[in-house]
Amino acid sequence: MVMLKQSYRYDQTTARLEVEGLPDFSAGHADQAIGILSAWRLKIVGASELEGKREHLEALMAVVIPYVRLRLSGVVRALGELNDPVRLVPDGPQHRLDLTSGQPNIPPLSIQLDDAQLADLVRCLDALRADGRVRLSWPAIEHQPLPRRDLVEKIPLMQRLTAPLLGGATVVVLGVLGLLLPLPEAQAPKPEEAAEVKTETPISDPAQPDQER
Amino acid sequence: MTDVTAEAAPDPSIPEAVLGRRALERLDLLLLTVESLDLNGGEAMLWATRQLGFETIFPNRVELWKRRCHNPLRRSTRRGQLSAVETEALIRILCVMADRLYPMLHQLLSSREPEELTRQRWGLVHQRLRDLIEERMNLRRGAIQRFLGSEPEGPLQRQLVLTLALAAGPGGVDRLRASLLDPTP
Repeated sequence: MVMLKQSYRYDQTTARLEVEGLPDFSAGHADQAIGILSAWRLKIVGASELEGKREHLEALMAVVIPYVRLRLSGVVRALGELNDPVRLVPDGPQHRLDLTSGQPNIPPLSIQLDDAQLADLVRCLDALRADGRVRLSWPAIEHQPLPRRDLVEKIPLMQRLTAPLLGGATVVVLGVLGLLLPLPEAQAPKPEEAAEVKTETPISDPAQPDQER
Repeated sequence: MTDVTAEAAPDPSIPEAVLGRRALERLDLLLLTVESLDLNGGEAMLWATRQLGFETIFPNRVELWKRRCHNPLRRSTRRGQLSAVETEALIRILCVMADRLYPMLHQLLSSREPEELTRQRWGLVHQRLRDLIEERMNLRRGAIQRFLGSEPEGPLQRQLVLTLALAAGPGGVDRLRASLLDPTP
């Protein structure tokens, strides 16, 4: 049986992703399918060509796609830890893709991406994941609504503190004003006035019979 | 005119996404941005509706417009919420439109394009979007006034264009839906 190497390319204006591999006949794949990934290459305009193993491509997907998801919600945050194979960090109006090789003699690589390049990169990855000819089970990436605390972070600190500070200041000012208001003096009744008070006969009960009044 | 609702025939593949007020505003504003990028955007949206098989939900331009009028910022706004099916249809139409306009979105966002040309492009989009907003939105609302007072390449407009670029195509549907379902901070 002749094993034919398959190669598929996903092109965007500034990014090109190419995957190579073989069909996995034991899994019943057709000739045109890729069931075993042998190599991948990513070319981003203005940067060196990247290549690696399947786990590196999966690491790239696991960082780039969730990062883009965060950007859609306006959240600007780095994804990936220091020394992770792939890390994507906001860098002013751009994004910095940090790649750390597992081999000791290869220095880390940083690639600056503008918004258009980031969009191109994620479109290449989306296209690969959606391609029915590539029969690899990629790690699932579930997109969920973000927790409220993540979204609060994108509001500037001053804006976040304005309402509670104004509320607190209003309470303090009203409290001080309340303390400044003079209390009415309690006046004791004068003795003459007390003597003049007549003791009135109690009003008879209207329900009482006339003879008893 | 009959009011076509999309409550019948629930599709298990369609998530139960019911959008809140802010998300409805954002979704409609994104559709408006599409119209500002494409002079024939209204027709293109109808074409995308047919292409995606949503004719039963939006059989004509009026039904599409009525669903978009759930945006509370509209001049003539409608009460109530969009159903999950209608929401999903609008999200998918938006992603198809963004995919179609992707080369234009790319030009606007690219730092490699000539600066003067980029400025002119942003100015053109800004002016068209302003005109559409003034025509259709309630100008007394604070959010609309803030938008109209913003710069052509300001953060508000850039975020709209970036959202379209990052949500373009079938891969963007899940991302955009999740971001629209974010809670209000």
